[in-house]
Amino acid sequence: MNFQDRLADILWRMQEARLDLVIGLHDGAHFIEKPNPVMVLSGFKSLGAAASVLHADGRLTTIVTPAWDAERVGDANAGIGIGAVGADDIVAGIQDALGGAVPMSTGIAGFRVLPSRIADRIAAAFPNAVAADKLVFDAARTKTIEEIADARAAARIAERGYHHLLAVARPGMSEDDLAVELKWHMKSLGADDNFLLLCASPHNRAVQPSNGRKLQTGDIILAEITPSVNGQLTQICRTVVVGKPSDELARKYALVVHAMDRGIEAAKPGVAMGQVCRAINAVLEAQGYGEYCHPPHIRRRGHGLGFGSMRPGDVALDNMTVLEPDMLFMIHPNQYLPETGYLLCGEPVVMTQHGAEPITTEKAALASIAA
Amino acid sequence: MPESEFTRRIDTLWQVHPTATRAIVYGSPRHHAELAYLTNLVPKLEAAVALLTRDTEPKLFLGGGPNMVGAAKPLTWISDLAPLRSGQAVGQTAVAGISAYKIVVIGGGAMPTAFRQSMNEAMGGEATDATADVWKQMAAKSSHEMAAIVGACGVLHAAVAAIDQSKHTSVTTAVLAGERAANQAGAQDVRILFSRNGGRTLEPFVTRVNETADPFQVYVAVRHLNYWAEGFAHLSARPNAAKSKAMDVLKRVLIRMRAGIPTRDIANLIESSIRSDAPHPVTMHSCLNTIGLGLEEAPYADAGETIEAGNVYSLKAGLQNVAGQHAIVSAMVAVHKGGNDVLWISP
Repeated sequence: MNFQDRLADILWRMQEARLDLVIGLHDGAHFIEKPNPVMVLSGFKSLGAAASVLHADGRLTTIVTPAWDAERVGDANAGIGIGAVGADDIVAGIQDALGGAVPMSTGIAGFRVLPSRIADRIAAAFPNAVAADKLVFDAARTKTIEEIADARAAARIAERGYHHLLAVARPGMSEDDLAVELKWHMKSLGADDNFLLLCASPHNRAVQPSNGRKLQTGDIILAEITPSVNGQLTQICRTVVVGKPSDELARKYALVVHAMDRGIEAAKPGVAMGQVCRAINAVLEAQGYGEYCHPPHIRRRGHGLGFGSMRPGDVALDNMTVLEPDMLFMIHPNQYLPETGYLLCGEPVVMTQHGAEPITTEKAALASIAA
Repeated sequence: MPESEFTRRIDTLWQVHPTATRAIVYGSPRHHAELAYLTNLVPKLEAAVALLTRDTEPKLFLGGGPNMVGAAKPLTWISDLAPLRSGQAVGQTAVAGISAYKIVVIGGGAMPTAFRQSMNEAMGGEATDATADVWKQMAAKSSHEMAAIVGACGVLHAAVAAIDQSKHTSVTTAVLAGERAANQAGAQDVRILFSRNGGRTLEPFVTRVNETADPFQVYVAVRHLNYWAEGFAHLSARPNAAKSKAMDVLKRVLIRMRAGIPTRDIANLIESSIRSDAPHPVTMHSCLNTIGLGLEEAPYADAGETIEAGNVYSLKAGLQNVAGQHAIVSAMVAVHKGGNDVLWISP
């Protein structure tokens, strides 16, 4: 599926839902957990609030703020035929783009997470609009060939970034300095964004944002490394010991990797996502860690990868989404164990007709740096 | 920032709203100026909500799950921290034992609309929005705040100098040198836009750009101790008529930047000084804004009717001339009763 195929799918869904118009909205605050219908509809990652307006006849216009950023829409979508309009105010920009004519049946995606100062005005401008999130994101439940290529490129950057972490991390270095170094390195490799959680402790309770702690011998560094290429995120989850890992830590990490392997094996087309989570839990439950397989210790065993669509959603027991080829998501057991603390281990996978294929070149393995 | 600074700010809030007994303060990683002003917290990943009360200890609810509580502790003077469950939970906690009309909301415009709706439903009504009042409070900077902004300007200087020194290598190398210099100087956040077409348009980092750009027009914003500084720089070893004129305009306006001057006069002076040339699209409608805890869009950072003593402004002059040259330059200006101090100016 390419971008045009997805657009055709959305148009078909509009016809089924009897919608004349779909408006995708986003405030420009890009975050790993926040789906972006403007990116789904236009492929454009905006600086400010933006909207993509799709008519049932296929006409597509993207409205961006600030107005001077409109030229970038055209650059990003050369050949696709998306109109670009710059506006100083997103609501007025949408109304101008529609020429004052509001179609009778309008769907809006992204409304619920829109800042209320914008959403209130959108609601007033389109009082009869219905939610179109499901329509837009159902069509984006699988990735396009372009998005999968970007995800693979981001995975390569993530792995090179991780190798850089192993090369530069040392006792006495602060978490913050290591995080900045890692982000800087991945940007130099072409990552346009990076969601990074990096922390260290002899016994981590969870993975957290960096907080200035200085690395010490015996620390376990947790790194959730999530670069983006052309707005497509990919993630790897890694664990590094400062000094020689204990035998127990090595054993427990191998257990978590084994659980991840079972999860990857369970991910097949036609299988519900919840089964992937169940397969991971089964390995850990068999070793007596059943109570640690549920909140507050663990909420999910993976997730979809935006910035556009977050589908197929969380690797969680209650996710009944049936897996299909070209779905992209993380499988990460990321488990707290009482003996070792929290351990990070995870790979991004793309679904093929045969099953889940990790798009990394090296699977997570417990690493160490010199004390 | 000492805790007394925050209690003083909250006391002022209660004075402005004498009937209010509780305040809900919302902040996100993108929009957090009011939350940072009252709690010192800048959310790192997901939103946070402070519940301030007249008589009891304040609470802070943190998005992102229980794991974020520990990470937030060093970032705020508030000691009662808990996970942020939902808008409904915030509303229920806020309204417990009182009526909604005794609650004020700050930063409500930045709340996701579903969150705000569920919060309002739980409260049984919409609380008074006090955001604009807090922004009025935020205008006059304390000595602690001014020191933080001066520090941010030092970081800005380091970033722009690093970009200037690296501009002959490649666009990406120069931008990354700027980011790195800012981080090494203590920046919590760095945002850089650059131009590859002589300053006609600006763009963010999307992919590697291995070419150089001369002139190299950049915009740099840095956050240091929670306070922002921003600046435009038009970098070239060669003389450039557009830049020379923009700098002349900027310096001419700086002489006029005094407390009590209508902000409209500043805009008019820039417009008339550009004369035969056209205003740059980037600065056409935003030649002057306040700056501090927020790097915000209008209306929050609007400069208001008049220049005020105690506030800090970002002043910009941008133009495009008939020769097709473009340039934007700027200054960070602290205004006081006796005139102004230029904290940073484009090189």
